[in-house]
Amino acid sequence: MTALLTTSTRGRRRPHLPRAVAPYAFVLPFVAIFVAFSVYPMLFTLRLSFTDWHGSGGAQWVGLGNYTYLLGNEAFWSSLGNSAVLWLLIVPVQMVLALLVAVLLDNARTRMRGFYRIAFLVPFVTPLVAVAQIWVVVFDQDYGAVNGVLNLVGLPDVGWLTTTQWAKPTLALLFLWKTTGFIVIILLSGLQSIEPSVYEAAAIDGASRSRRLWSITVPLVRRTLMFSVVLQTLAVFQMFAEPFVVTDGGPYGSTTTAGLHLYDHITRADLGTGAANSFLLVIVVMALSLVFVRLLRSED
Amino acid sequence: MHPNHHRTSRAPRRHPVALAAGLLVTATALAACGPSIGGADGGTDEETSATDGRLQAPTQDSPSGEITIWDRSGDLYAVFDAVIDDFNEVYPDIVVHHEAVDIDAKLQNTLITETDVPDGVFLDDAKVAGFAPYLWDVTDVLEPYVADIAQQKVDVSSLDGGIYGVPFDLDPGLLFYNATALEAAGVDVTQIATYDDLLEAARQYQAAVPDAKPIHLEQSAFLGQLQLEMYASQLGTSLADENGELRLESDEYRQILTWLDTVQREGLGTRAEYLSPSDVGPLENGQQVFYPWAIWFSFAPEQQLTQTSGDWRAMPLPAWEEGGARSGAMGGSSFVLPKAGENADLAWLFYEFLMYDEAGYSAVWGQNDTYPNGLATSIPAYTPAADPSKPLFGPVAGLGGQDLWTTAVTAGAEIPGGAPTPDWWAGAVDYLGTDLQRMLDGELTPDQVLEQATTDIQTNLVDR
Amino acid sequence: MVTSTTHRQPTGAEAGRAPHLPASAPRSTGRRWSAGTLGTQAFLVVLALAFLAPVAWALVSAFKPATQIISDPLGLDVTALTTENFRRMFSDVPIGRGFLNTAVVLLAKGSLTLFCAPLAAYAFAKYRFRGRELLFGTVLITLMLPTVVLIIPLLLEMKELGWVNTYQALILPGAVDAFAIFWMRQVIAAVPDELLDAARVDGCTEFGIFWRVLLPVIRPALAGLAVLTVMNIYNDFVWPVVAASSSRMATLQVVLSTLAQNITGNRIGADYATVTGELLAAASLALVPLLIIFIALQKHFINGILAGSVKG
Repeated sequence: MTALLTTSTRGRRRPHLPRAVAPYAFVLPFVAIFVAFSVYPMLFTLRLSFTDWHGSGGAQWVGLGNYTYLLGNEAFWSSLGNSAVLWLLIVPVQMVLALLVAVLLDNARTRMRGFYRIAFLVPFVTPLVAVAQIWVVVFDQDYGAVNGVLNLVGLPDVGWLTTTQWAKPTLALLFLWKTTGFIVIILLSGLQSIEPSVYEAAAIDGASRSRRLWSITVPLVRRTLMFSVVLQTLAVFQMFAEPFVVTDGGPYGSTTTAGLHLYDHITRADLGTGAANSFLLVIVVMALSLVFVRLLRSED
Repeated sequence: MHPNHHRTSRAPRRHPVALAAGLLVTATALAACGPSIGGADGGTDEETSATDGRLQAPTQDSPSGEITIWDRSGDLYAVFDAVIDDFNEVYPDIVVHHEAVDIDAKLQNTLITETDVPDGVFLDDAKVAGFAPYLWDVTDVLEPYVADIAQQKVDVSSLDGGIYGVPFDLDPGLLFYNATALEAAGVDVTQIATYDDLLEAARQYQAAVPDAKPIHLEQSAFLGQLQLEMYASQLGTSLADENGELRLESDEYRQILTWLDTVQREGLGTRAEYLSPSDVGPLENGQQVFYPWAIWFSFAPEQQLTQTSGDWRAMPLPAWEEGGARSGAMGGSSFVLPKAGENADLAWLFYEFLMYDEAGYSAVWGQNDTYPNGLATSIPAYTPAADPSKPLFGPVAGLGGQDLWTTAVTAGAEIPGGAPTPDWWAGAVDYLGTDLQRMLDGELTPDQVLEQATTDIQTNLVDR
Repeated sequence: MVTSTTHRQPTGAEAGRAPHLPASAPRSTGRRWSAGTLGTQAFLVVLALAFLAPVAWALVSAFKPATQIISDPLGLDVTALTTENFRRMFSDVPIGRGFLNTAVVLLAKGSLTLFCAPLAAYAFAKYRFRGRELLFGTVLITLMLPTVVLIIPLLLEMKELGWVNTYQALILPGAVDAFAIFWMRQVIAAVPDELLDAARVDGCTEFGIFWRVLLPVIRPALAGLAVLTVMNIYNDFVWPVVAASSSRMATLQVVLSTLAQNITGNRIGADYATVTGELLAAASLALVPLLIIFIALQKHFINGILAGSVKG
């Protein structure tokens, strides 16, 4: 610690920020940008959600009309349902997989860790438009690589992107493939701050490897895990670009996620309904986040 | 351990998420004081459009200025780009900035913000009506030509008595067929005059080639609906009439859907998305031999169907009843002129040259660097340019050297008018397009499709 | 020992994770996971290949003749490999301009985020100040609000400011996004207070504590934030497509989405194969700088600093 801190004492003669003022100064650059380009448009959107504005002409105040229309609309509810199913297909699998990979990559004895860190991140950084093309070709029913492999082992073709029962798992797979690398990085940053001595002590106690993972690692990264779950809940419910470019919400609206459904209103210039839809989504996501926070906390 | 570690914990007492919820409620209450929506300029636009919204051509001898023209990237961009030089020979003082942009993503937002608005934009016909409030009514400038433009193209971009697009191409539907495979199976295509004949020919072919599913059934909800509108256009109808009233529940639509349903139920159709690998396979191996589609399918045998290139031919579509129209329009595009563009009148001169001047349309459809044989994926909507005796593009090798021009121009002349596109057309894909696919899955009957789609479109699109 | 470490009650909302033991054994000897087994390696190799294969397919396909990409997506005829897709793509779209614009935006917006977000998050996590909870609550709401819905309001704002088709329109909106704040606050909250207090006792300035003590400690998370920020900025197309309608301001992803429009809206079909080839060529090219950046960043994901700095 001394090594680090002696360097900092050199700055002593510079004018000090009093401790009471410092936080205001620290948040100022953020607040300036945040208020101008997030809060202001958000208030605008909120106001928009009570009007029938279609992008041109004047706006008519419709009160809660957009909200009641959506709440009574089958498509709105089925978009939420689709997102809920996708959440179930994605988040549990992703957390287990990412934690496993992160633990292995955190281990100094695993070889080629640098290579793996990059390999798992490659899908995350690949431009989505290219990903869409890849997915459409790889999962084609008759000519795709995936069915080709299935045929090799004697299994029948699957209509990955063309049937309602498979389109969601295929989309979930895309999302898993694209984002798991990033969750690994987040979990890894959490694992990195676990003291090695904790493991050492457990090893002395004779705990088995899987036991150590479950009883030590998981509780220690619980906050990071909870954070990742909330993060991916937001991501799954807001997801629109992936289904937009790969399935365009089909077949039969089975991949029309909550995010895509609201985007559809916006592309149709039905801006008031789009705004109302997004605030309803905020409420859903907020409720879910509260539930997860409670659940993960109560395990203490 | 070290309990004092937590002494300075500065956690908020209330949970931030709970706080956020409270905040949202408060903000909702405050929303009334938020930023105002729909500026004064937006309001006046709409009021004045009825009287002042009609574009007038420039009056000076040699108009000058700069125009920005948007096209989507790709072959047509290259084709139009090459014509600019010819245009500048006639109008040397007009500088054309030609940009390849993602029009679907950009146009709506550019029009809303009214900043750097282009003077002319290439747009799908199905989308023109949706943007009408932002566009010049081109009725007056189009006056000298309108009588010579295919009626379908004028109707498709008409709304409340105004015309909002300068028609570009006519995309007649044709019946593409694999002549070699059909001949080998002993099927005589010259006998096909109605859709019942087509069914019969498909049955014959299937008898000769047992694993064949001869007729294409489109699996994309969007293209399926577009193709449905081609069939409807043959019967002179469309989703809505000129007043925007739905007319889906009609004998015409019932007839079309019943026919498609028959193809499906008898196992005569290949369900696949247009030119996806699942589509190309059966096209190449002789299982799928009939493709009722717009003229732009001609690209496939020319470039994509490498094994059966040269085996394909095109003929007019069958008629819905003996003596009925042998073609309908499927797709097509127009040029629109945003009111917020600075020099829309000059952009009109550009499109006038491109579409109605012989030098212009010859350069677009005739031989050029992009298409050494000419642009054989559409025909002009302007009848003097679509002259059967004066082909602009040459014989198509992928169609065995067939004179596609004459076939297409003759078919195009039969397309009935009276089929405007409602401004919510693309949104209807979620209902009609999807229900149509359900029918092809065997889940819905034609009547159920019409009933369900009508209700959904009325509540979610027309009434919104 | 084990139970006392893991089952301690957190005393506040922020103290969910165990604090670090001030005195610890050197990290290298602390590792007792004998994970270098064959099974582990096999698992990682298979998984990594599954992650890389689709991208490898795209890279290889970019060099195949355009029609073959569609007609024979999995075949590879080595003799037919060509750079035709690249040549055509270069002549069709202003990809050089796209790279330049992306570089400008990346540099400016990335620095803003990577500086402002941890700084503000530090204030949220380690200071009490008036309006903190209100501000953080607002951050959470914007985090939960789908960003697509803000596009048109933001565009109207750009119009009012006269910023349409300018670099500031591409840089400032979203420069410090809510997620960055949320994540960094989470990470910084886990840093032991006594580390910071000790620095304060030693006479370190408030900013000095942030700059010289805190940042090095959270380096793995910062590297993660850098990955996310770079990726988000580099691959964002929803906002740039609408905010920079002029081709002069087009970023790399705007160029890509212009190409992709011809595929997703497969209307005319006249050059479906060609455009797919061009798109894959452009996407492959776009991937290269990102990979270089990440290879350079990856060593920071491992933390050696925390252990070293806490023992004194």
